[in-house]
Amino acid sequence: MPEWGRTTLEMVVQELQRPVRLDESFERRVMVRVRRLYAEKRRHRSWWGAAAAIAHRPGWAAALAATIVAIVTTGVITVRPHAGRLAVGTELRQFVLVMPAARSVAVVGDFNNWGLGDSTLVATNHQGVWSVTAQLPAGVHRYAFVVDGKQWMADPTAPRSSGDDFGMPSSALVVEDGTK
Amino acid sequence: MLGLDSMESDDAALVTRVLHGEVDAYGALVTRYRDRYARYAIHMLGNREDAEEALQDAFTRAYRSLTRCEEPERFGAWLFRILVNRCRTSGARRVRRSQTFVYDEGALLNASEEHPAEQTMWREEIERAVGELSPDHREAFLLKYVEELGYEEMSEITGVGVSALKMRVMRACDRLRTLLREVHSA
Repeated sequence: MPEWGRTTLEMVVQELQRPVRLDESFERRVMVRVRRLYAEKRRHRSWWGAAAAIAHRPGWAAALAATIVAIVTTGVITVRPHAGRLAVGTELRQFVLVMPAARSVAVVGDFNNWGLGDSTLVATNHQGVWSVTAQLPAGVHRYAFVVDGKQWMADPTAPRSSGDDFGMPSSALVVEDGTK
Repeated sequence: MLGLDSMESDDAALVTRVLHGEVDAYGALVTRYRDRYARYAIHMLGNREDAEEALQDAFTRAYRSLTRCEEPERFGAWLFRILVNRCRTSGARRVRRSQTFVYDEGALLNASEEHPAEQTMWREEIERAVGELSPDHREAFLLKYVEELGYEEMSEITGVGVSALKMRVMRACDRLRTLLREVHSA
């Protein structure tokens, strides 16, 4: 028991000031976390460093942006409509082509009689990303992009059609019947 | 007075090395402060497991924010502030979980060299009494008497005014005397 001749407070403080020793595994555990943070920071820095370098070269930045957008969006995308707005056995598909230099882009295919008459699907331009949405019946379709009203091109991200219509390149698209 | 300013003067050099990518230099800072700050965390939180977790977290947060350490030569004081805040958060969680502080006797036994049984009992009584203080009072008492900080420094760390801190310390001392007197008169 304590010597009561000393003040209680002094004895309390003396006890509480006794050294504590953590084993060495504590330091190892902290350093594992710290090294992980360091590695993450380096990865992060190298990515942003590269991005910053490109940002200083507008030409590269535009090319990079176009590439990224192209990877993500060129092609045909399924569009989810509001319930009940589609005819039975049809699906919405969005055609996308990244071509900043184009003045116009249209989509032609067997679903619009290859653009004869007034049936051409005219895409709208969003800073070089051209897109148009069409309601297509289930089945296999062939289609192509028509750029500037004269350049006929297949979708670079879709499989080529086995039989090119009109001797022009075209792509194949499968629309599944969502009601089945 | 011991105080936080009397910590090793080459903290700044170690901090600079870490900021220049020499990550292992941080290990020296961990070694330098781990035991002393573990003591505070153990007394504040009442068990070794929570204390080690809080201290690990404080070291990790400090590393992550090292560029914001405005006075690298006072890294220890800056780290301690992070730890005090971390203990407050941890303490708040504990209070929500349970209103009872349960002290880990093993932590106290492991915390220092061997002691006679009666000394161990006395130590346990003290730890129990400290655990019965309110978190605010316990924090103020530990900072003042165990860490030997001045009131200005305590105020800087806790964000609490000097007068309020003095009051907390005084009340903590009164409460401890009462609690320990009760133990011995029982």
